[in-house]
Amino acid sequence: MFKNLEDFYKMKIGFRIWILIIALILALLAISPWKALEKGIEITSVEANSSAFEQGFRQGQIITFIDDKKIENIDDFTESLEGKFNSNESEKIIFKTKDLEIIYFSRNVPEITISTIKKTNIQTGLDLSGGSRALIEAEEKKLSSNEITDLIAVIENRMNVYGISDMKILPVSDLSGNRFILIEIAGATPKDLEDLISKQGKFEAKIGNETVFIGGEKDISSVCRNDATCAGIEACNKAQDGIYFCTFRFAVYLSQQAAERHAEITKKLDVNSTQQGNYLSQKLDLYLDDKLVDSLLISEDLKGRVTTQIQISGSGGGATQSEAYDSATESMHKLQTVLITGSLPYKLKIVKLDTISPSLGKEFLKNIILLALLVFAIISIILFFTYKKFKVTLSVIMTMFSEAFITLGIAAFISWNLDAPSIAGIIAGMGTGVNDQIVIIDESISNINLGIKERIKRALFIILGAFFTIIAAMLPLMWAGAGMLKGFAITTIIGVSVGILITRPAFAEIIKNIES
Amino acid sequence: MESEQQTAESLKKEKFNFGKFHDKYYKLFLLVPIIILIISLVYLFSFYSRTGDFIIRDVSLSGGTTITLKGDIDSTNLELGLEEEFPGISFNKLTDLTTRKPIALVIQSSSSIEELKPEIEKILGYSLNDENSSIEFTGSSLSKDFYRQLIFALVISFILMSLVIFILFRTFIPSIAVIFSVFADIVMPLALIDYFGMKISAAGIAAFLMLVGYSVDTDILLTTRVLKNSEGSLNFRIFRSFKTGILMTLTALAAVLPAFLLITALPNSFRQIFLILALGLLADILNTWVTNVSIIKWYCEKKGIQ
Repeated sequence: MFKNLEDFYKMKIGFRIWILIIALILALLAISPWKALEKGIEITSVEANSSAFEQGFRQGQIITFIDDKKIENIDDFTESLEGKFNSNESEKIIFKTKDLEIIYFSRNVPEITISTIKKTNIQTGLDLSGGSRALIEAEEKKLSSNEITDLIAVIENRMNVYGISDMKILPVSDLSGNRFILIEIAGATPKDLEDLISKQGKFEAKIGNETVFIGGEKDISSVCRNDATCAGIEACNKAQDGIYFCTFRFAVYLSQQAAERHAEITKKLDVNSTQQGNYLSQKLDLYLDDKLVDSLLISEDLKGRVTTQIQISGSGGGATQSEAYDSATESMHKLQTVLITGSLPYKLKIVKLDTISPSLGKEFLKNIILLALLVFAIISIILFFTYKKFKVTLSVIMTMFSEAFITLGIAAFISWNLDAPSIAGIIAGMGTGVNDQIVIIDESISNINLGIKERIKRALFIILGAFFTIIAAMLPLMWAGAGMLKGFAITTIIGVSVGILITRPAFAEIIKNIES
Repeated sequence: MESEQQTAESLKKEKFNFGKFHDKYYKLFLLVPIIILIISLVYLFSFYSRTGDFIIRDVSLSGGTTITLKGDIDSTNLELGLEEEFPGISFNKLTDLTTRKPIALVIQSSSSIEELKPEIEKILGYSLNDENSSIEFTGSSLSKDFYRQLIFALVISFILMSLVIFILFRTFIPSIAVIFSVFADIVMPLALIDYFGMKISAAGIAAFLMLVGYSVDTDILLTTRVLKNSEGSLNFRIFRSFKTGILMTLTALAAVLPAFLLITALPNSFRQIFLILALGLLADILNTWVTNVSIIKWYCEKKGIQ
């Protein structure tokens, strides 16, 4: 064996082998496995215009300390913020990131989303990392690509306002020319995702039949959120049948135009006197997607007055007080969102909705990695028993490994999310990659009367043939079915291309060196 | 090196006998794959006339909901409680073979999430969230579109593959022999899958596409060595291709089989891809080394290629 190794060192390293070595180094850089050594948690998004943003939080920062407590995982993070920001008082917290210190001073929890640091740059798809994915289309209308772009902007805005920023939203189309919007949210699935993306969110405030204002920036200049002085849960009560109810209230600031409309309409109303006080004869009815969500009494002093600030209230119920509290918070949040963003321009329909459990995905990923290692080992054993030559077997195994590694590197570089079919493509690709090398070996050890160069050339003809057929076979998958199986095609095509362009020429050279 | 020469010689002896035998009967051998192919085709068409389709589509291609419950879930109550209300509902346990512990229960039904989820929650006695379950829904119009497009993609993929083969060999009969073997590689597993009543998912059809490219390389190897090389006799070249090719198929099988035999707790899409590739590779052994070999040998005899 020592002798073998010695030969190995003496081997001439031609430019094909150099290309392989460079490709391996680049792949290593793209994958960056040393990220696993870093400690801390990563900020995946920061809400726009929030106090967190103003005070210096940015996406991609890695928090390592909070008030001198070392932060290594999400539990550490939640623990160190526990019990803070419960009162109306501003609090000071010192966050240390890798290269700077942020002194955070606010009444609210910093508006950031966090996750554990990724161990490498390889990104796994939704079916393995968990998260949700929705494919939506307009219900009665075929949208043009401009309309899709506008719609994406509105949905994106709505999601951001709701507090989801770690997401991907993009237009997709399929072979029959249907256009969809694909929304992918990593990690935990927000409740009400369906409502958020598919409900039009048409908000109307009416008195009688007259519309006072609607959701969106034309009528509404701002909405109070995340500020306990003008928005929050007011009270929770137990109803007689054992169900709890919580009510929320938040302030909405109308535009001058909407405020004048309000004055105009209320001017005509009578005043009713009740035990609770004097109110106008008609209520302010709040409609969401044509459904009445609440009716508010209008107090007497608002009659005919141009007022830009009004209070909106509502409630949420549940079997326990905390359930009711959560439900009310959510309803408030949803209402605030549609008031700010306005309604979607089209009626939408969810045609596909997947919510994948992160923990189940983790289990699958573990098994897939185990499977890949096992396949690697089995193929190595088969080859060793077939060729019984240490050098040849070792170079096949090295090549097989290089191919998978470079494919992963490219996937990391183009930020491709590896889902289960993509990884299946890589593992199946290990099979074909080895096939090509078997052809090279068999061509080179036979045909004694031909020169080694000629033999390798023959092998390459077979390999090129196999390469073009697999590309031809996988290509149509890039477009079929709204690209849902694109990953499988992409990794297979990357894998065989890496094989044909980088690893196979290098392998042929290694075999040439071994043989001659 | 020495031992290799020995094996080569002993193989030559064997081949000598087998070669004669093969020369005499190879046209008869061709009947085996042809009969299997005809049975498969007849089965597929009778299947089509019974069901209106060549495959049984799972919910990703026909529309519906897949709910994967995490953990060791006792499915008896769920089966009893759901079967009546949701006809066609299916239950599938994913078991980790190494620990022999079930890790998840997969429930598929053509109903919507709103219909299915509350019923399951009622029986289980807890609510489903993204900690304990995954829920996937595909609308029926989307999945029909999906299916149509994937079948279209499969046809295109087959045509493109055929073009590549024609460009590569530029002779009619040998090219047709390769294309015919690939066709048989698709039809035989398909008939078997239908026979066992297995449902095919979108990923499964993608696997058939890959099979088109995956199973063709041994055919290319055979045809190249037989037509483009001239050293050794025809039988010698065929036999040498067989030696190389069978090792190729074996390693390819080694890449796809462990997903059923050793590590089984994998996503459904993943397992199906590997199952179809494995069946296709097995069919490919027959179709390359009997179908394709017989046709090309016949062709060579007619053309006087030695």
